Parts: sequence; structure tokens; C-alpha cells
Amino acid sequence: MALLETKDVIKRFGGLTAVNKMNFTLEKGQIASIIGPNGAGKTTFFNTLTGIYKPEEGSIEFNGHSLVGLRPDQVAERGIARTFQNIRLFGSMTVIENILVGMHTQLKQRGTDILFRTKTFHEEEAEAEARAKELMDYVGLKNVGNELARNLPYGGQRRIEIARALAANPTLILLDEPTAGMNPNETEEAIKLFRRIRDERGVTVLLIEHDMRVVMNISERISVMDYGEKIAEGTPAQIRSNQRVIEAYLGREAAAQA
Amino acid sequence: MKQFTSNPLYKFILFPIGQIVVFILGAGITLSVLVILLAYIFRGSVTNLDLVERTLVILPKVLIDGVTIGFVYATIALGYTMVYGVLEFINFSHSEIFMVGGVVGVELLRYFDAQGTLATMNQYVVITLAILLGMIIAGSLAVTVERVAYKPLRNAPRLVPLISAIGMSFFLQDTVRLILGLTTGEFNVILPKFGTFDDFQTFTVPGLAAPVQLQNKTILLIAVTIVMLVGLNYLVNGTKVGKAIRAVAQDRPTASLMGINVNLIISITFLIGGTLGGAAGVLFALKVTRLDPFVGFFPGLKAFTAAVLGGIGNLTGALLGGIVLGLLESFGASYLGVFTQGAFGAEYKDIFAFAILIAILIFRPSGLLGQTVGQKA
Amino acid sequence: MKQFFSNLYAAINKEPWSYIVTFGLMIIGSALVYATPRSLTAFLILLLSPASMYFLKMNNKVKLFAGLVLAIIVLPVLGIRNIFYLEVIFQICVFAALALGLNIVVGMAGLLDLGYVAFYAVGAYTWAFFGSKQISLLHSVPGAAPANAPYFLENPNWFWLFIFLGIGLAAFAGILLGLPVLRLRGDYLAIVTLGFGEVIRVLALNLDKPINITNGPQGITPIQRPTLPPALLDALGRVLEPIVGHPVTEAQFYNVFFYFLALAIIIIAVIVARRLDDSRIGRAWTAIREDETAAIAMGIPLVKMKLAAFASGAAFAGAMGVIYAANRTFVSPETFSFLQSIGVLSMVILGGLGSIPGVIIGAAVVVFLNIQVLQTFSLYLSSLRQSDAVIPIINFAWRNLSTQLDPAKYQKLIFGLILVVMMIFRPSGLIPAERRKRELAGEEEIDEITE
Repeated sequence: MALLETKDVIKRFGGLTAVNKMNFTLEKGQIASIIGPNGAGKTTFFNTLTGIYKPEEGSIEFNGHSLVGLRPDQVAERGIARTFQNIRLFGSMTVIENILVGMHTQLKQRGTDILFRTKTFHEEEAEAEARAKELMDYVGLKNVGNELARNLPYGGQRRIEIARALAANPTLILLDEPTAGMNPNETEEAIKLFRRIRDERGVTVLLIEHDMRVVMNISERISVMDYGEKIAEGTPAQIRSNQRVIEAYLGREAAAQA
Repeated sequence: MKQFTSNPLYKFILFPIGQIVVFILGAGITLSVLVILLAYIFRGSVTNLDLVERTLVILPKVLIDGVTIGFVYATIALGYTMVYGVLEFINFSHSEIFMVGGVVGVELLRYFDAQGTLATMNQYVVITLAILLGMIIAGSLAVTVERVAYKPLRNAPRLVPLISAIGMSFFLQDTVRLILGLTTGEFNVILPKFGTFDDFQTFTVPGLAAPVQLQNKTILLIAVTIVMLVGLNYLVNGTKVGKAIRAVAQDRPTASLMGINVNLIISITFLIGGTLGGAAGVLFALKVTRLDPFVGFFPGLKAFTAAVLGGIGNLTGALLGGIVLGLLESFGASYLGVFTQGAFGAEYKDIFAFAILIAILIFRPSGLLGQTVGQKA
Repeated sequence: MKQFFSNLYAAINKEPWSYIVTFGLMIIGSALVYATPRSLTAFLILLLSPASMYFLKMNNKVKLFAGLVLAIIVLPVLGIRNIFYLEVIFQICVFAALALGLNIVVGMAGLLDLGYVAFYAVGAYTWAFFGSKQISLLHSVPGAAPANAPYFLENPNWFWLFIFLGIGLAAFAGILLGLPVLRLRGDYLAIVTLGFGEVIRVLALNLDKPINITNGPQGITPIQRPTLPPALLDALGRVLEPIVGHPVTEAQFYNVFFYFLALAIIIIAVIVARRLDDSRIGRAWTAIREDETAAIAMGIPLVKMKLAAFASGAAFAGAMGVIYAANRTFVSPETFSFLQSIGVLSMVILGGLGSIPGVIIGAAVVVFLNIQVLQTFSLYLSSLRQSDAVIPIINFAWRNLSTQLDPAKYQKLIFGLILVVMMIFRPSGLIPAERRKRELAGEEEIDEITE
């Protein structure tokens, strides 16, 4: 059974159909990508998956349960974590606190534990802090645990966002243009990190990405969106030679000339 | 037909006035029917008087009061809604701009009174001067406040300018109180009696037993606000400045790239809102005859409610919201007492607005008219 | 100027100077207050000593000891000698507790609540209603109460239970208000809470009919206070009389009692606020304040967490309300005006949003300004008015100065200025909130982040 399956998902804004009859499946343990020109509806699709938008029609099933109508926090609780296209960290919190926020759904402490500082509380906090440090190491952040997140350079902030998403112990992680603005070296490292997240942690990875080197390099399966619709799907090799994809990216005339 | 609707006379004069009339009739008739129905339903539970008759007797006055105060709210609400449209920011100190306009206008009348010229001058000249002075001072104050207290905070988190605006509101209240206290020794400002504004015009309406009475100042208030509303509509929809304002409201960065001086447009927005507020202040003073530095608070809040009720950022919405809120308040204040036989009454009228505000925000946050093109909420 | 202060701070911020300065301020301040009970300077010097305790580096045990001596012995004794100081300190404590509560809502969770005193009113009216004769007067017109109406609760020590009831009811009111409105955007929330504050005040003002619940604008009085053990008062009275120089009355003991009670609430408030802040809940609040969309995507249920913030903030106000009603033996609607809400907000803003020491200092500064500095200034002006003095150069006789110029009445001016000036020049407050630095094993200390 597929981990994530959407059927005929439609999301409209007024007269504009941002996502149109989107059918999409994702197998457990895959690394998959969604690509498409700007404004193709990729981020809207992510936002519909994570409960930020409610789809007008269609079904979204994750692990066999419907996600339609759930709030974003409920979706997160079911095991879908995400990052954002334009980094959204909690700037005035420290790096380690950002990661601890990501663990919100994992922590069991209750109001009484917090007010009376019970043993449960202390143990859980110590464990959480240790895990947060482990995650910092994992994404390659060193000696910045007590820094405010907003004071880190761009690449560091991207890493915090991924660590924060991983902190929730997700089954599926959605990465929205995770290598945007990175130089080739950083991109290379990011690709390695995404592979490790899948290989070592068993987390299924779904990316939205513009950088074709990244997409072709890492994806086992690629879906292409244009004008809110899925126009193609397949392996990198299939997508590379797909006529409709070339048209969508280069325009019809250019494709005809090529 | 198309030719007719693009005719400036229709577009900028007949259409807005028609809109106002439709709003008044719509809200007024709906509420009237509602209370009459209620009166019939409850007539059995009250024995010592005829509830229906009592309801009908006060109805004309309730309608007139509601429309009058509704126009005041609408005029203030335009200031809130324009600033919100452009900056997405609740200009909390707008209620004090309104108050300052009123105080300045009345002080001018008091000055004429002290000079002994008030009685000899033409009353319409006097009131025009007072309104103009109120508009000028309130408008400049609004621009100054924006420059001092909001402009430095334009890129700060949303709550920061809001807190600054709340502070400004308090600061202005006590500053006016201080200035009045030092110059006149008294911070209550009482309108001197002059002219025939307090006199009544009597109209006999066919079908009504008692004639309808309208005070001259009520007629003046309605006339002046309609002129201003029509003028504003022309300014925003018919001029280049208006186009620039709408552009800034829709997308500030793009407007600035198109060569629009955004800071200037924001100042102009505050200027327009301030002058409208100032004029409303003078008209309000004429109506209530007594002001103090704290008098802006409730009208300000209700005008804000009116702006939200109509759909904040939407100019027509502010007008509709003002009229509806004015009528609702007037009906509530009068008929709550009638229907509960005095157990609850007009003392609760100040919280109707809040109840309405909470209800709209919960059930229809985009307001009655929602968003329209050129304005964003 | 700034240089001078930072040099001065560096100079005294090491042993033994930190000890000398702190204890010096404490001893000199106490001696001066003892000797000249009406002097503003003396009181200010004394109030500087807790500040120096907080800011200067000293052994924590010494700090705690000095603080306890000051709070438990020095202030009450000086306060009995001149009851006015005790009143100032009591008010500081009341407002500090309110500011700490509001700080949870505004500072930590970022929800601008402009009607915070409504919850204070809920607490105060709860005890006012049950702890007075009001229940026997439900059907009498305000002002025409029969003289011999009985108290509803015979034993005034129900007060202790009502502190908890006040907490519960205020928290409940917070949830009741929060449920519909917490989905709203920040600036709408501000206006709606403002409206709620006004609704509560208007209800307090008008619910004297059809049934007389609040006694309208006249307010409810007398309200009972818990009993103090007479044997203890006797013993304490005998010890204190030679020190303060006059017999200690029961009223003065009550003032000390309420001071201790308010102090206890502050201590609890500080502990609760700190523990909440450094926990899953506090981190969720900060996350919501910083970025709601990101927070909810991390699995944080927004409405539930905001409700928790609203209710915790309201709870402190509720407790303080009960204590306030008993302290004054009188409540009336005017105590719970919009002005008061803004006053508490200005304390939080002045001290620093989210900063616990900040809001306490903010409360102290604002209360001190209001009831000490402005009033002293008012008295000074009125003494000038009585004299024949003339302002030189402009040749203006003080006698002709308008009596409207009474600084004590210009609270709004002060609050307004605080809000505007702080937002423009120092939005994070006098003592900005700091994130806790964790001891992270394997992490090297780096002083400055280099990018």
C-alpha cells in the first residue's frame, strides 16, 4: 500500500484553480520530487497536503487514513513534517530551542509536570536536549546550539529547518525548495543529507525543487506540474525525454524548434 | 446604458448618493419591520400599555437618530478603513483626531462668542469656518502623528505600530486636556448657543399620526457628510491621487517601482482620513453640544466596528457599516428598554457595538461587503 | 554619558564593591527612610537596593539572604512606621503580579490583550459579592441598604478558598472569551479584548438592576478580610512598638498582611512563569509568537495553546483581584477601566516583553511614577501656587497657574509616552528578555558569532 495517495485533489482560490485533479502516490521509503514552472501549484499542493489549505474536492490518504479536514497540527501529529520555501524559523529562539519546538508532538510532559518539575519532566527534557544535539550533529551544525536562529547564515538556517522537521520523528518529510540559494558545494552536501535521511532514518522524502541537477541526481520518481495539473510522471530518464515537460519548461514554440 | 453609467454625473454623484439612500432604506426598513414584529409577538405579555403603539410612536425618532449617528460613524470609519487599506494597520489614535477636530471647531465658535461676533455673523459662514478649521487641524495632526509615531515602525512586527498607536491615543487625550486646562482652566468644551441649529423642522408624513420632527443641525450634519462622502468617492475613484492610493493599497512594493511616492501617498491617506475625522468631530460637537478630551473613545471604537462590519479596507463598506451600526445602536438603545420594560436600557448601548463586532469577527470576518478590487483586507 | 554608566557599572560589578554598594544602599536607604519618613530621595535609595541585588554579581545565597531580610523585615518595619510606603509597595506588588500575568499573554505568547483588567475585575467582584452583604441586598436599591443586613459568609476566612475560586473563575472567563476570538488575527484580537474589558466594566456599572448584583457605580462595601490571630498581633505589637515609635494598630497589621500576601503571589507568579517559559508549553508560545504558520506545521495546536496562555494570564489577575477586594474592603467599576489595562500593558512594555525581571521593574517604575513622583510634583506645584513666587524671564506668577495642571491626573500622558517612546526607540524594553543558555556538552563556548 502506498504511504501517501491523493485522488483528484482540487484547490481553488476564487476563480483560479491552483491545483486541478491531482492524483499522486508516494511509496514508503522513496525519494520523490515535484517539479514544474513557477506558479504551477507545487507549494499549494504541499499546503493542501499539510492542512494549511482545505481542498475543494478529492481525497488525501496517508498511511490509510484521510487527511482531508485535519488542521496542520493534526497532520503533523500523524507524521508529516515539512520545511518552507522561504525559511520560517523562530528567529528569537536559540537553535536548540527551535529543534525542541519540532519535538512538540513527541513530548509527553503535562501542565502539572511542568509546574512541579517532576521527575518525568526532568528526564524528558534531558532526553529531548540530547536528541536535539544529536540532530544538530546529524545535519552538520556545530557549536551553535545557544545562538539565536536568526543570527545564523543562510545555509545554517536551512539545516536548522531540516533538523527541526526531523525532530518530530516523521514518516514523511516534505522539503520545499531546500537547496534554493545554495552554492554548488552546499547543494552537494544537501543531496547527501537527503539520502542519509532516507537511508539511515527510513524517512520518506518528497521535494519541490527547481535545481534540475538536484532533482535528476536524487529522485527515484519525478512528478511534473503545470497550471495546477500533473502533466507527467516517471523516472528521471523518462521525464528528461518527455515532450510535454519540455514544452512546459521551454514553451511550445521553442520545443517545436528543438 | 453603458454610456450612461460612465457619465461622470452618474458615476460620481448620482450613484454614490443612490447607494447611501439604498443603504439607509434597506437597513432602516429591515430593522423597523423586525421591531414591529417583535412588538406584535410580545404584545400579550405587557398589559399596561400597547406595545405596538409605543413602538410606532418612537419609530421615526429612532430612525432619524440612528441615521444621524450612523453618518458620524461612517465618516470616522472611512479614516480607519483607508489607513487599514493602505498599511494594514489599525490607526488607534484616529478617535483622538476626531476629538481634536471637534474641540478645535468648538473653540473657534467660543472665540467668536467671546469676541461678541458670534451672534452677528451668518450662522452658515460660522459653521463652515469651524468645520474647515477642524478639518485642517485634524488633517495636519493625523499626518504629524503618522510621521512621528508610525513611520519609523513601518517594517516592525504588526503589534509594534499598534501599541505605538494606542500610546499616541492616550498621549493626545491628555495633551489636549493639558492645553485646554492651561488655556481655559477647564477641560470640558461647551458649544455656545448660536443660530437656528437647535430649531425643529416639522414634516407631516402621510400615514403617520404624529408629524416627524427634524432638528436643523441634523439636516446640516446629513447634508455635509453626504457632500464629503461624494467628494471622497470622486477623489479615490476619479483622480490620479486616488489611483495612486489604490495602487499602494494593493501592492506597496510594486506601486513604488511604478514611480509612486509611497511615503507621500501614505501621508495623503492620513490627511484625507484626518480631515474627514475632523469634520465629523465638529458635526458631532454640534449634535452633542459638549465635548471633552476623552469623547473620541466610544465613537472611535464604534466607527472601527463599522469599518469591520462593512469589510475593512472597503470604502463603500465603511459607509454601509456606519449606517447599519448607527441604526442598530439606536434601535437597540430605544427598544431594549421598551421590550424589557426598563429592566435593561440605553445604558447598554455602548456595548452593543462590541457584541456586534465580536459576532462579525467570528461569523464573517471579511465583513458585509468583503473585499473589492483595489482594496485588500 | 552612556560610557560613564557602563564604566561605573564595570567598576562596581566586582567583589567587594558589589557587596558594599548593595548593603550600603540597603542600610543607608533604611536609615534615611526611618529618619525622614516623607522623603522621596530616601525611598528611592532604598528601592535601588533590590535593583543592585539583581544586577550586580554576588554570591546567590547572599543575594537571597539580603533579599529576604529586605522583604520580610526591613520593608514591613519601615512600612509600619510610615504606612504610605507600605501602600506604595503593596501597589507595586499588585501591579507586578498583574504585569507578570499579562506578560504571559502578551510577552510570551504574543497575544495583545487590551482588556486584561477584566479578569482582575472577575476576581475582585467574586469576593466582593460573596464576602460582603451584597447577597442580602439583591432586591434593594443602591444607596438604600438596610443597615443591619448580615454578611453572607459568617466566617471571613472563606477568603482563602476564594483566592482559588478567583483563579478558577478568571481562568474560566479567559477560556470563555478566548474560544471564539483566539482564531482572530493579532490586531483584531486587541480590539475584541478591549471590547470585552469595556463590557465587563459596563456590566459592573449597570447590574444594579433588575437585580442588584454589583451595586452599580457606588460599588460594593464593606468587604470582609480574613481574621488575623490576635495572640500573634499582640506579641508582634509589643516587639515593634519601640522600633517604629508608636503602637501598631490592627489596620497597620492588615497592611503588612496584605503586603506579604501580594509578595507571595508575585513569588508564585515568577516561579510559574519561569517554569512555563522553559518547557514544552513556553516554547510553543514563543513559536506561536514568532511565526504561527511554522508553529502549527510543527504540530502545535494554536487555539489550545493560546487558550492556555489566556487562562494562565487571567488566573493571576483573578487571584490579585480577590486580594485587592479584601485589602480595600471596597470595589467599584472605575478601578477596572481601560486606563488600568493600558497601565499594566505599559509596565510590561517598559520592562521588556517576555522578560520576567523586566516587567517587575516596569511595574515598580510606573507605580512609583504614578503615586510618588507625580503626586510629589503636584504637591510642589500647589505649594508654589500658594506662594508669591514668579517664574523669572517670562514674569509669570505661579499663583495664576491653572489648577488643571495637576501632574497626578496625567497618567494617560505618562502611559502614552511610555508606549510610543518604547516602541520607537527600544521595543524590547529596559531589560530585554533573554533565551536560556543551555550547558551543551561537546559545545565550545564562542563569544561572538562570526558569519
